[in-house]
Amino acid sequence: MDEIDLAIVESLKKDARTSFREIARKLGVSTDTISNRYRKMRKDGVIQGSTVVVNPEKIGYNSVIVLMIDAEPEYSSAIQNKLIQMVDVILVTKTIGDCDLMAICVVRDYEHIYDLTLKVAEVPHVKDVQVCFCLGDIRIRPEYFII
Amino acid sequence: MLQRDARIPFTDIAKLCNVSTDTIIRSFDKMKKKGIVSGTTISLNLKKLGYEYVASFLVDVNFPYINDGIKFIREIPEIVWCVPTIGRYNLFTIAVFKDFSRLSEVRDLIKSHPHVISVGTNIWVGEVLLCPENFEFGSKK
Repeated sequence: MDEIDLAIVESLKKDARTSFREIARKLGVSTDTISNRYRKMRKDGVIQGSTVVVNPEKIGYNSVIVLMIDAEPEYSSAIQNKLIQMVDVILVTKTIGDCDLMAICVVRDYEHIYDLTLKVAEVPHVKDVQVCFCLGDIRIRPEYFII
Repeated sequence: MLQRDARIPFTDIAKLCNVSTDTIIRSFDKMKKKGIVSGTTISLNLKKLGYEYVASFLVDVNFPYINDGIKFIREIPEIVWCVPTIGRYNLFTIAVFKDFSRLSEVRDLIKSHPHVISVGTNIWVGEVLLCPENFEFGSKK
């Protein structure tokens, strides 16, 4: 990746709908160059997709919780696949450290936290679930949370 | 549709919804004005950009100094998210690193803050499954 690729990434990170023509004008290259570079970055998996950044608070979600999950190790991948299919679970990763899996979820209220945590705890081979209730800034930043 | 692909032309959405392009543009602008949608972005494979590690730090700070702790941590360039929490720890952070030694340095840096009591570290491994579109629109009760 060179400076032009990074400039395309930066521009689309700020606004994924920026036209290739506009990026090309800013960088002083042709629209075809931007289009080809974008296609290559998509093909190589550097850019995985694009999405709208939703403010959860505006659609009825009042907070984000982080679930720290202890699980039977041989089932962690199966649990991860199961959890990401649950509505309101927006990220699941396996971890090394205090817990085996971590899930970031959006929640409406305390009752929702209870229901969601229980649902996760009931997934087969989950041993324990700890809840971390996030306060303040709950904007979701999809550009950061993929590796 | 935009949650799955933010670059989809408004004309395509209009065709699929059987309405005019102007209607789609107006709806999108309205959602932006109301703050429901704060913008659009791309999702990146950070590994391909040289960031090999993602870690979450769970930080216990002396409660009266929590804002000091947040300010200190947010100034570390690798930190992408730092929020106060209620639970076992009182701060939750996510950070991205190009190498393991920097991860260790940042952990030590957080620990060195005079009001930080402890730092729990979780290093993310394997594929991170992300579903930012997993919101239930209209869930407002």
